[in-house]
Amino acid sequence: MTIGVLVDVLLALSLVGLSLQVVTGRALFRDLVLFILFGLLIALSWARLGAPDVALAEAAIGAGLTGALMLMAYRRLAAGGAADVSPARRRPLLALPVAALAGILVAIIGLSAQGVERVPDAAGTLVLQELSATGLGNPITGVLLVFRGLDTMLEMAVLLVALLGAWAVLGAAHPGRLHQVDRETPLVSALLTTVAPVTLLIATHLLLVGTDAPGGAFQAGAVLTGCGVLLVLTGTVRPRAAAGLLTKLLAIAGLAAFALIGVSALALGRAPMTLPGMWAVYLIETAMMLSIALTMTLLFARSRALGPEQR
Amino acid sequence: MTTEALTLLVFAPLAGALVMVVAPRRAAAPIAVLSLLTLPPALVPLTRAVRAGELVQLPLAGFAAPLGIVWRVDALAVTMLLLSVAVVLLVSLHALASFPPERESGQRFWPLWLILVSSLHALFLSADLFNLYVTLELVTLAGVALIAVRGEPAAMRAAMRYLLLGLMASLFYLLATALLYGQTGTLDLYLVGERLEAGGLTAIAVALMATGLLLKAAIVPLHVWLPAAHGKAPGPVSAVLSALVVKAALYILIRLWFWGGGGQAGEHAALLLGVLGALAILYASAAAIAQRRLKMLVAYSTLAQLGYVMLLFPLASAGAYRAVVFHVVAHGIAKAAMFLAAANLLRALGSERLQRLAGAGSRHGLDVLAFALAGVSIMGLPPSGGFVAKWLLLAAAWQERGWAWVVVISVGSLLAAVYVFRVVSLAFAQPLREPERAASAGEEQGRAQLTSVAALLLAALAIVLGLASAPLIALIDQGLPPGMLR
Repeated sequence: MTIGVLVDVLLALSLVGLSLQVVTGRALFRDLVLFILFGLLIALSWARLGAPDVALAEAAIGAGLTGALMLMAYRRLAAGGAADVSPARRRPLLALPVAALAGILVAIIGLSAQGVERVPDAAGTLVLQELSATGLGNPITGVLLVFRGLDTMLEMAVLLVALLGAWAVLGAAHPGRLHQVDRETPLVSALLTTVAPVTLLIATHLLLVGTDAPGGAFQAGAVLTGCGVLLVLTGTVRPRAAAGLLTKLLAIAGLAAFALIGVSALALGRAPMTLPGMWAVYLIETAMMLSIALTMTLLFARSRALGPEQR
Repeated sequence: MTTEALTLLVFAPLAGALVMVVAPRRAAAPIAVLSLLTLPPALVPLTRAVRAGELVQLPLAGFAAPLGIVWRVDALAVTMLLLSVAVVLLVSLHALASFPPERESGQRFWPLWLILVSSLHALFLSADLFNLYVTLELVTLAGVALIAVRGEPAAMRAAMRYLLLGLMASLFYLLATALLYGQTGTLDLYLVGERLEAGGLTAIAVALMATGLLLKAAIVPLHVWLPAAHGKAPGPVSAVLSALVVKAALYILIRLWFWGGGGQAGEHAALLLGVLGALAILYASAAAIAQRRLKMLVAYSTLAQLGYVMLLFPLASAGAYRAVVFHVVAHGIAKAAMFLAAANLLRALGSERLQRLAGAGSRHGLDVLAFALAGVSIMGLPPSGGFVAKWLLLAAAWQERGWAWVVVISVGSLLAAVYVFRVVSLAFAQPLREPERAASAGEEQGRAQLTSVAALLLAALAIVLGLASAPLIALIDQGLPPGMLR
């Protein structure tokens, strides 16, 4: 108990300290690294709050992928000669009042939330009661796929819009040349031959276990993206100028599977978004994982499609 | 019948977008037309049911609130859907010409456009605070992508700013949603309204949610992103952003305030919202007069017209509700027409400087006519829809003895007259020099004509709305917020 409290206090203090350093820091690169660390600590905090699903997603997406994206952006800025964004151009003075306001807000919310009693028949309680009827063991997956599937389907639409928007902005420009490491060095080849298969394995495990334990399409997709990022950075796959049919099909797979199954419930005389069985859960989750991984890898590589090197 | 109709409104455009991403180019135009033409028939059974006094409800996946998400259609939702479908269809006519689906520009534009339509409809149907968050997020992101769809640097800067401020607004909204759930144990807007009790936490939640929504609706002083975003976007995008997207945020605010228990924040909060509206009317109208670029003028006019909606909160009477909802519809149609006409003029003249408009009245008569007709409605002159809206609002303010509001509404209309007349009179001025006319190919000319027809149809609708206002008013009256007596 006391150790738990100690960890919590340490976490809270580190979060505040880290965020202060990120905002007032003098070197962009250092700030980015600290921000990634900040994401990891947030993930730990979620775990401490008893939300392992959120912790997993935060670690994979909030710290891992966002970090990779920001470091990639930093490298592009550096290549363009703009990386040393000088402290004068950033505004630590603006950060102080914003931080003070946020602190006051948190304090007020904390103080006024103290007197609030737990609602007996909250939606969350109902989810736990009704979960067994769905055949799922993980209440998070139950909410995401069964009870509030529309939210999840629309989140997949958000992801597709991000990709379509990126494609539009990329224009017809030739895919950018990515900085790549030399594949022939022993370290890189060892990394590829061990890490890539292991991430695939972890992603599959997270996907399958998601029905009964923490995990699911979003976490699995994020881990799979890690594999994609590795393949892009080592030059195993290279950007292509135009998206082929396979890329497009994979990009829409998650949303299309969810929407199609959701609407087909009408034909059976049920309300839209009713899932016909566990097979639908697995199908939708798999399709979502593939769409998530492809979309995020493409966004990372800043390209319309990826493929093996053409000779 | 209504279940299928509700499903069509959201899933038909969504399916169109998905198919278009993977289908060959030549199929793009039929897909777009087909998925959009399913929308009007879907509205028929819904409107009929609501007119018969029915509240159409659909618990998605069969789970009722508080466990699941419920789609709920009352008179207000149907009104917004009618506005949305009318504007989307006519603006799509313009987009068929300005973003030909089989070309590269159209290939980028149309899937995003159809997803925007789908998410707007999902928003108007939803009665769930978190689902509203997701739909509003999707609407914003699709809007951002559409602003930047041509890849022009100025538009991309505007889109980026809209994106960042929109995300901040979303965070405010999300935090408020969590606070409301913690207090009431439900995300269903109507259940929240029943269970919410006045208190400190409620006040904070409502304040946070209102701040997020006002930021998304660009209410002065949270408007900084709008003029550039709406001014630099392509014509059809500006039209729908001004007519529907900013209204979507206000729609949620009105729902929250009068149905979801937000009114518990108290009369002072309502007064504050009204004062912001008055500020918006006066400041943005004056700013519109000072603009030198046509589309920026129209964008500032949007800011001003949004201010009138905010007067609903302090007035809070059935008369004011009727007036404001009518205004939302009238302004949506007129502003869509105005943006399309402005975009056409901009394309034809090759410059958006107001000075270059001189002489446009004779050469681009259709577009200037559309602009002028839409302007009649924006100014609130009879017999337009705008006139009915302003008249109802004045009457409501008068009845509540809100003399300050009466003055603001009147001054706002006068200022609107100044900026509209400025454009129209310039258009009929003698041109400084006879501009050389670029000879365009037959197909291009056909496209240009289609864009003008789309603008003119919308402008005509803005006028007709005033002549035939009775059915719409009857529809609005059927869904007065609880506690508001006719």
